[in-house]
Amino acid sequence: MKLNELVPQQDPVDLYLPVMSEIRDVRPLTDLETLYTVALPDGRDLGHQPGQFVEVSLFGVGEAPFSISSSPTRKGVFELGIRKVGLLTEKLAELKPGDKVGIRGPFGHGIPVEKFRGKDVLIVAGGIGLVPMRSMINYVLDRRDEFGRLIICYGSRSDKELLFTDEMESWRRDPGVDFHVTVDRGSPEWEGNTGVITTLIPGLELDLGKTVCCVCGPPVMYRFVLLALKSRGLPDKSIYMSLERRMKCGVGKCGHCQINHSYVCQDGPVYHYPDLKSLEEAL
Amino acid sequence: MELKFLASDRVEAFVSYIMQKKTVYAPQRAGKHSVALKKVADPGAVVLDYARTMQSVKKFFLPPRDELLQFNLADQSFAPAEVKPLDAVLLGIHSYDRAAIDRLDYNFSQGHAERNYLTRREGVVWVGVSFEPDEFHFSGSVGIRPHDTEGFDVFLTRARDGYLVEVLTNAGRELTAGFDLPATDQAKPQPGHFHQHIFLPQAKLNEVMGASYNNPVWEETAEKCVGCGSCNIVCPTCYCFNVEENVDIKVSGGTRERIWDGCMLREFTEVAGGEVFRGGLAERQRHRVMRKFKYLSDKTGHPWCVGCGRCTAYCTAGISIVSIVNRCISDYEKHAATAV
Amino acid sequence: MAAKPRVAIFDFTGCEGCELNQLNFENQLLDMLEHVDIVEWREAMDDRPGEYDIAFVEGSLSTPDCIKRINEIRRRAKVLVAVGACAVQGGINGMKNTQPIEEVREEVYGKDKYLFPTLPALPLSAVVKVDVNVRGCPMTQMEFLKVFTALVMGKKPVEPTSAVCVECKLKENECVYEKGMICLGPVTRGGCDAHCPSFGQYCTGCRGMVPEPNLKAMEEILVKHGLSVNEAWKRLHLYNTHELEGLKS
Ligand SMILES: Cc1cc2nc3c(=O)[nH]c(=O)nc-3n(C[C@H](O)[C@H](O)[C@H](O)COP(=O)(O)OP(=O)(O)OC[C@H]3O[C@@H](n4cnc5c(N)ncnc54)[C@H](O)[C@@H]3O)c2cc1C
Ligand code: SF4
Ligand code: SF4
Ligand code: FES
Repeated sequence: MKLNELVPQQDPVDLYLPVMSEIRDVRPLTDLETLYTVALPDGRDLGHQPGQFVEVSLFGVGEAPFSISSSPTRKGVFELGIRKVGLLTEKLAELKPGDKVGIRGPFGHGIPVEKFRGKDVLIVAGGIGLVPMRSMINYVLDRRDEFGRLIICYGSRSDKELLFTDEMESWRRDPGVDFHVTVDRGSPEWEGNTGVITTLIPGLELDLGKTVCCVCGPPVMYRFVLLALKSRGLPDKSIYMSLERRMKCGVGKCGHCQINHSYVCQDGPVYHYPDLKSLEEAL
Repeated sequence: MELKFLASDRVEAFVSYIMQKKTVYAPQRAGKHSVALKKVADPGAVVLDYARTMQSVKKFFLPPRDELLQFNLADQSFAPAEVKPLDAVLLGIHSYDRAAIDRLDYNFSQGHAERNYLTRREGVVWVGVSFEPDEFHFSGSVGIRPHDTEGFDVFLTRARDGYLVEVLTNAGRELTAGFDLPATDQAKPQPGHFHQHIFLPQAKLNEVMGASYNNPVWEETAEKCVGCGSCNIVCPTCYCFNVEENVDIKVSGGTRERIWDGCMLREFTEVAGGEVFRGGLAERQRHRVMRKFKYLSDKTGHPWCVGCGRCTAYCTAGISIVSIVNRCISDYEKHAATAV
Repeated sequence: MAAKPRVAIFDFTGCEGCELNQLNFENQLLDMLEHVDIVEWREAMDDRPGEYDIAFVEGSLSTPDCIKRINEIRRRAKVLVAVGACAVQGGINGMKNTQPIEEVREEVYGKDKYLFPTLPALPLSAVVKVDVNVRGCPMTQMEFLKVFTALVMGKKPVEPTSAVCVECKLKENECVYEKGMICLGPVTRGGCDAHCPSFGQYCTGCRGMVPEPNLKAMEEILVKHGLSVNEAWKRLHLYNTHELEGLKS
C-alpha cells in the first residue's frame, strides 16, 4: 500500500452529525431497562442487520452506542433496549413519546445471517445481551422457513431483572422454539431454573453439524460459555460472539473500541470466534 | 533535480514574499527552550533550524479541540461546525512530520471518509526543511531520512551559509515564481547522523513485536510510567479522540466537540460500571507501542511511528520507545538463538 | 423547566479563596440566578427545615462541630457538592495531619488548646457521601460553571480524571520540567486547563491525584530532577495528605 497515493474510499461526509429522530413509544422493561421505539424522519427505514448498533445522543448530555433490538423485518420504526447506568442513559430514561434523540448509524458488522440460514440457530444471551439477540430471534421467527430450529438460552441475575417477559411467554409457547431461561438468584416466587447460564448448555438437544451459535452477554460470561459449548462438541467455526467495548465515534476514527489490531465498531461487534483467537485482549 | 540557493540573509525576504501569496505557518520561538508552529506575522521570527516542535502539523488538520456541531436546546436543532480548507503554506516542516500526515490521511480517508479532516487538508503547500538529528530522533530507522523530499512541494536543505532549494511540484513553482533563487552547483550535503537506532528493519519488526506480547518489558516500563498520556498527546500519528458536550451558562445551547485522547490514559477504555479493559499501565504501554510497530503496520505495511522522538523527549519519566523496541528485538534474538 | 432548583452554600475551615471566586462571576451571576433559587448564602445554619436540591460546601472539617453540621447538611441536601481543595481532599489544611495533633493544637491555640477540640483536617467525603467534586485551590470559574450547568440540566457532572500534562500538551505549553522547575502535573488531575503551568508556575497538585496514581514512579521522577526522597513526598503531601494516607492503607 502506498500511503501517499491513497484516495478516499467514499465521498467525505460529516460522520458525526446525528439524524434527529422521534421517540414514538417508551416501555419500561424492568426498574433499570426501558424499551424505546424510535422513528427516523420521513418514515425512513434504518436498514440494519441484527447485531448492529446505533449511536444515540442528547444535546448537552452525550452520545453512546446501543444495539438495535428490533428485527429488520419489522419496518418503519426500530427499538432500543437501554439500561440506566450513567450520564446519558439516565437522561434517556426521562424521555417521553414525542421527544427527540439524535441517531447515527447503523454501524458495525452485525450477525452474518446468511451463515445461519438453513441451520439450527442457538442464541446464548446473558443479561442485557438479550437486547441485540432479540433482533436475531425475531428475524428468525419472521422468516421461520429459512432457518432450522431456534434454541434460546437466556440467563439473568434475578427474575426481577428478566427482560421482555411477555415475549418470553410467546417463545415458550411456540413449538418451533426451544426456550430455556435461568436466574442466578431467584426470588421466592421464582419457579424456573436457578444457576448461571452455563448450566443450561449441557442439557440442550443439539445437532452439532447443523447448529450455529451466537453469544452475547457481560464480558465475564464469554469464557465460561465457550467452555460449555466446546464440551458439547460445537466446533469453533460455528460460534459467533458479540463484544462490547467503550465506543465514541462508531466509525473507526476515535480509537476507543480497539482490541489489539481490531476496531470493534468496524470489524465487530459480532465476531466469528476463530477470528477472535488472534486478538489476545478479546476474551 | 536542479538545485537553487537561498542565502541565510535572504530567508526573511523569502518568507515575506510567500506571505503575500498565502497564509504561512512556520516554527517560531514559543518559550525559553521550545519552538512551535504558528501563523507567521513577522517573517523575522521564523526559525528554520530547530530540533522539534511539541505539536506537529497534525494540529492544523485535527485540532486539539475541534467543534463538531452547535446545538440549540430549546428546539433541538443543530448546525454543523464550519470547516474550511487550511489553504496555507506550511513552512519549515521536517520529513517525519510530513510522513506522519500520510498516516493520518490513511485513517481519515479509508473506511468512512471524514469531511472535517479531509476538508482542512486541502490547499496546503508544503515547504520542508532538513534537520540535524538530536539525541531523540530516530526516523532513519523507520526509513525517513532528514533530507527526504517526499510529499513536499519545495524542500530546503541546510548547506553552507544558506539552503539548497528544490522546487518539486507545480504548487511549489507557483509559490516560488517571481522570487529570485539563483541556481547553484553546490552538491547536496550528506544528511546528519542519527544517535538513536532501532536495530531491525520494519519488515522484521512485525514478527518481533508479534512475539513480544508477553515480554517482561511491559511490566518493567509500567513501574516507571505515571500514565500521564503525554506520549500520546505529542505523537504526530496518534489520532484518538473523545467527544464532549459544552453547554453555555444560559443553558440554551452549546457545542459538541472532540478532544485529543490517548490510550495511555486509564479512562480511555473505561465503560459504565467501572470496568477498564486495559486497566494496567503495562497493557496500555503495550497497546501504544504495538499500534506504532505492529497493529497498523500489519494492515498497511508501514510503521505507524515516524521516529520523531517526541514521546521520549517529553516523557518526564524518561521512557524511551526505542529502548522498548530494541529490548523486544534483543529478547527475540536471544530466544531464537537458544531455540536453535 | 420545572421549579427552579434550590441551592444552598456553606463553608467550613478554608481560606475563602473559593467563595470569593464564586462571587466574582460578575457577568454570569445573573444568568446563574435565573436557573436557581439561592436559599442560604453563608448563613449560619438554623433549624429551619427545608430541602436543598443542591448544597455547595467549601472548606475542610476540623472540629466535632463541623462534623455535626456536615451531617445535617447532607441530610437536607439532594446533591452535595464539595467545592475546592479543602472540601475535596482536606486541602492544605490536611498538612497538619502529618504532625501529631497535640502539637498542632498547641501551635494554633497555645495554652487554650483544651478549649478547642480539633480533628485532623478531613475532606467532606471522610464523613459524608459527596456527590460531586469541584476541585482546585482555588477552584476555577470555568469548572464551577460546568458543574453548575450540568446540575441545572439535571445531569451528573463529568469529573476530569486525566493528568494536568494532557492539558499542557493540548495547549502546547513549554513543559515545566524543560524550564528547570519541578511539577506535579504528571500525577495531578486535570480539569483546570493547566492553569498554573500556563502562567509560568508549576503544578502544586491542588486538584488531587489522578485515579490509581503510580506514586513510586512519580517519586522517581522528582528525585531524578533533583529532590530528595523526603522533599519529593513533602511536595506530594502539600494538598494530598488525606488522599495519600488513604492510598497507603
Ligand atoms: C456495540 C455496543 C452495543 C451496546 N448495546 C447496548 C444496549 O443495547 N443496551 C444498553 O443498555 N447498553 C448497551 N451498550 C452499552 C452502552 O453503550 C453504555 O451503557 C452507555 O455507553 C453508557 O453511557 P452513559 O453515558 O449512560 O454512561 P457513562 O458511564 O456516563 O459513560 C460515558 C461515556 O462512556 C462511554 N461508555 C460507557 N460505557 C460504555 C459501554 N459499555 N460501551 C461503550 N461505551 C461506553 C460512552 O461513550 C458514554 O457516553 C452497548 C455498548 C456497545 C459498545
Ligand atoms: S509520557 Fe512517559 S510517563 Fe507519561 S504516559 Fe507516556 S510513557 Fe508514561
Ligand atoms: S511513537 Fe513517539 S517517536 Fe514515534 S511518531 Fe509517535 S511520538 Fe514520534
Ligand atoms: S468507536 Fe471510535 S474507533 Fe470504534
